[in-house]
Amino acid sequence: MALVKLLPRSPIEDSGVARAFAFGTFAVGCLAIAVYGQTYLAPAGTLLVAAPGYIYSHRHRHDPPDRIRQAVIAGLVFACLAYFVFDSVLALFGGNLPQANFVMLLVAVTSFELRTRRNLYSTMWMSLALLYLAAVFAWDVAFAPIVLAWLLCLGGFWTASHLKRIGAPRFQVPRVPLAAALVAAVALGGGAFVLLPQPSARPAGPLIVSLPTYVSFRGELENPALPLVEFGADPSGSTANINLRYRGRLGDQVVMYVRTGAPGYWRGLVFDSYQKGIWTATHSEGQTFRAYVDARQLPPPQGPQLGSFVQVYRIVQPMPGVIYAAAPVESIYYPAAEIRRDYYGDWRAPAPHAAGTTYSVVSALPDYTPGSLKKLAGQDPSPAVYPQYYDTGSLSERARALARQLTAGIDPADRYELVMALTRKLGSEPYRYSQNLSRVPPGQDPIDWFLFDAKVGYCEQFATAETLLLRSLGVPARLVTGYSTGEYNPTLDQSVVRARDAHAWVEAYFPGHGWVPVDPSPGFDPLAATRFPNRWATSGLARLIPHLTIGAPGAALGSLGALALGPGLAALLIVLVAASGWLWTRRRRLVRSRSPGEFQLLRLYERIQRRLRRRRGPAETPLEYEHAIVAGELAELLSDVTAAVNRGAYAERWPSPADMEELTARLS
Amino acid sequence: MRPTWRLLGALVLGAVIYLYGATSEVAWLFLFGLLLWAAALAMLGYTRWNSRGVAASIRLLAVESSPHSPSPDLPESAFRDAPLPAPVFEGDTVELELALTVTGGSARGPARLATDIGGRQLAAGSGLVPAAGWRRVERLEPVRRGSLAASGVTLDTGDPLGFFRHRRRSADQRLAVVLPLFSSLATSVQVRELESAFTAVRPGHGNDLYGVREYRAGDPLRRIHWRTSARRGELVVREFEPPGLRIVGLLLDPTPATPEAADQVARLAASEAWDCLRSGGRVVAWCPGREATRLDESRSLWSILEWLALYPDLPVDPSGPPRVMDAIAFLTRPGGPALDALQDMQSRGAGARAWLVGEGELEVPYQAVGTEWPL
Repeated sequence: MALVKLLPRSPIEDSGVARAFAFGTFAVGCLAIAVYGQTYLAPAGTLLVAAPGYIYSHRHRHDPPDRIRQAVIAGLVFACLAYFVFDSVLALFGGNLPQANFVMLLVAVTSFELRTRRNLYSTMWMSLALLYLAAVFAWDVAFAPIVLAWLLCLGGFWTASHLKRIGAPRFQVPRVPLAAALVAAVALGGGAFVLLPQPSARPAGPLIVSLPTYVSFRGELENPALPLVEFGADPSGSTANINLRYRGRLGDQVVMYVRTGAPGYWRGLVFDSYQKGIWTATHSEGQTFRAYVDARQLPPPQGPQLGSFVQVYRIVQPMPGVIYAAAPVESIYYPAAEIRRDYYGDWRAPAPHAAGTTYSVVSALPDYTPGSLKKLAGQDPSPAVYPQYYDTGSLSERARALARQLTAGIDPADRYELVMALTRKLGSEPYRYSQNLSRVPPGQDPIDWFLFDAKVGYCEQFATAETLLLRSLGVPARLVTGYSTGEYNPTLDQSVVRARDAHAWVEAYFPGHGWVPVDPSPGFDPLAATRFPNRWATSGLARLIPHLTIGAPGAALGSLGALALGPGLAALLIVLVAASGWLWTRRRRLVRSRSPGEFQLLRLYERIQRRLRRRRGPAETPLEYEHAIVAGELAELLSDVTAAVNRGAYAERWPSPADMEELTARLS
Repeated sequence: MRPTWRLLGALVLGAVIYLYGATSEVAWLFLFGLLLWAAALAMLGYTRWNSRGVAASIRLLAVESSPHSPSPDLPESAFRDAPLPAPVFEGDTVELELALTVTGGSARGPARLATDIGGRQLAAGSGLVPAAGWRRVERLEPVRRGSLAASGVTLDTGDPLGFFRHRRRSADQRLAVVLPLFSSLATSVQVRELESAFTAVRPGHGNDLYGVREYRAGDPLRRIHWRTSARRGELVVREFEPPGLRIVGLLLDPTPATPEAADQVARLAASEAWDCLRSGGRVVAWCPGREATRLDESRSLWSILEWLALYPDLPVDPSGPPRVMDAIAFLTRPGGPALDALQDMQSRGAGARAWLVGEGELEVPYQAVGTEWPL
């Protein structure tokens, strides 16, 4: 109530056009939810209710408050809230976008009581929330027209209410000039959107798109299956291994969308034990957390860091409950009652992902540059404590010899060179990447067959081979599965991840840095480190200026969140430009309003005062100033200028240009 | 050019959305924020362009006379030098045109013109000012005596979204002078008695017989020409012509008690002036301490009426009363410099009488009236 009293009274909005535009923002929000949230009943139903509501509230805007109507609306608001709770927590109605449904219902219910301009603003901000929810799910540029349409409705509302306020009888504006201004604005804003780097800042809290459900773990955690290996009949996945003799069908269907500030590898499960073509995880224990895990609950990432970045994942089709995330994770939010972090730092959901599940992750971005990785600190994991990381399994002696051959001449203590040499060798001829692989001949070790016979494989073969070869050289290593980046769009900050992007790579241990991802598969970056995208380069601006790399400082600043200051700085810039323009215009008018002699004489008088190091006081007449100051060599000039100023000020006789030239020459 | 609170709101909204984009990686939010800021910049340019090409004007369009207006009774010839488009009398209804024009031949807008005319706030705005201009007619009824001026004229221009406002103020502009009502007082019984009284006692003047006319109510009985009356069978009175040119001095109270009293003083003076002028005389109006009407305009009804319309807010002038042989004072209280001047003129032999708006006793022939009109 105190807040209500503090706020100024909002005027009743008399403009029907303004109301129409406010309704337009809601319609656009509903359209966006329908298209990108793939829910249709609530948008259509609430639109049908809200339309007469807007008309009703416009017709009765000047009526005295109807207590009964307000009570009914308040009751309906609480009913909406009850729906929201039940649908989001218990998923009674499917749990598909309950917050969007809640917002739409709220707009529909309150549309019958929209009297003041503030009421209309409230309903528009709710529509903006709809637009935001849709934007999270929007993965194509077709969303841009929706943003434009919403902004046009907002502009229309502002225009209509502004015209009403100035007393304009009709909603009329000069079309051509206004259209030109709007086109300029769209070009300017759209150009800035495409060209300027987009800042990445750390969120203050979890990014909740899907709300937590009641689902929690039941029984022991099991490794779900991965699409890389095999899709079992059980959709929750219950296999705890990867069998190199099998390969799932990897199609083009989209499995998830990832909004991300940096393109990375979406890490899934880790396997550390290899026996006869089958990878398994030695440890199945884990730690259970609530839906939101913040940085304080997790061990800090090892080694130097470049910053952190946010990812928002939206699962498109049902998947096993592996929570994919760029490593190392700093905080995570998943819409379930609890989630689990296993021994290897992987994250598991208590149930398979349903289509539409959305979760968010904040990941650290370690400094995996060569210079950084060459600086080692600390020790490798002890073979006595972690024997699985050194276990070469059934690796043949031929393969061990190959490892030594491929790294011949490299200092075994130079971990970086050792790892990268092996990675590059495996990733180049004669080894080739192919998903059309014949079956491993019965009785033959898959790795030997890959390394010495087929020399063609897919990511599991390459990753397994490198893991075991590294182990044979005494480097702790393990196999990681998940998804590669997918189709990354640096402008929209998003990746479209398809089934064919399922990937396996290697994590090699670097003392002081922890487990560093390396990728021996041909066509992939050997050092599979996440990097901030060089948006200047990708935006096309840098392509116009060859050999210019200006993205790194921006990326470094962006990693610190400094670019988030951009909006404030831009606003400040606008204010400064506007103020400068105003001052310049004012000065020009002042100059124009004066005769040339007047302006020049007063400027000369100013210069003399500056030269004498004493300004004339506000209450001091020019003559008093002349008499009060010891002008020295300027005394005569000051006397003449003072006389000229007095003549001009009191008799309106300003000096001629010739006189001014003479006086100015005497000063210089 | 000034930014509005709405601009601040839009910039803050853009900043919040942009920041939200930075923390959620929803790139569309960057587009949203950038478009809002770009719109602000575009509107800055628009406002600058719009404000340079729009001008405003206000003018008197038409006058609709009130039932008490003297206009219908005035002879056609009286309108030859009347104010255009028509003289405005108090109580009339006027139509004012508030117009917006553009330069450069292309439509502009929005623009809003606001002013204070006759104590009433008038404002007109339009989102579109066509190349041919835009106008709006406002009716103002009823107008009061005095200067009908547009004060505080402000022209607000800006952008359609209401982000910026450019305000231009203009100097006050006089649209018309609202003249006092008047009517002939010649038919008034009391006036005629008063007239005859001071004419009859005036020594040395008005003794030349001008003619006879029918008796009118209020004529003194001693003016009745009994012989002619008997001959005609109806009462006939003698009429005397003042010697030479008759110049009447109107002496007005410089500090009227109330605005209503001032209005009544002006009406009475205008009526006296009208009676004098239509009988061929001249009128000089004077208010102690204020500038008198000019002698060369003493035959101009409209000049006298304009002076009376502005009474008592007249230019300061310390010169004394005009030299006239007949003087009429218009007072709102029994005393004051106007009465002193009247008595002084009376003592020097001038005919003197007075109107007193209100109550009181005077030592000169007078008639007391209230503030209602017509009498």
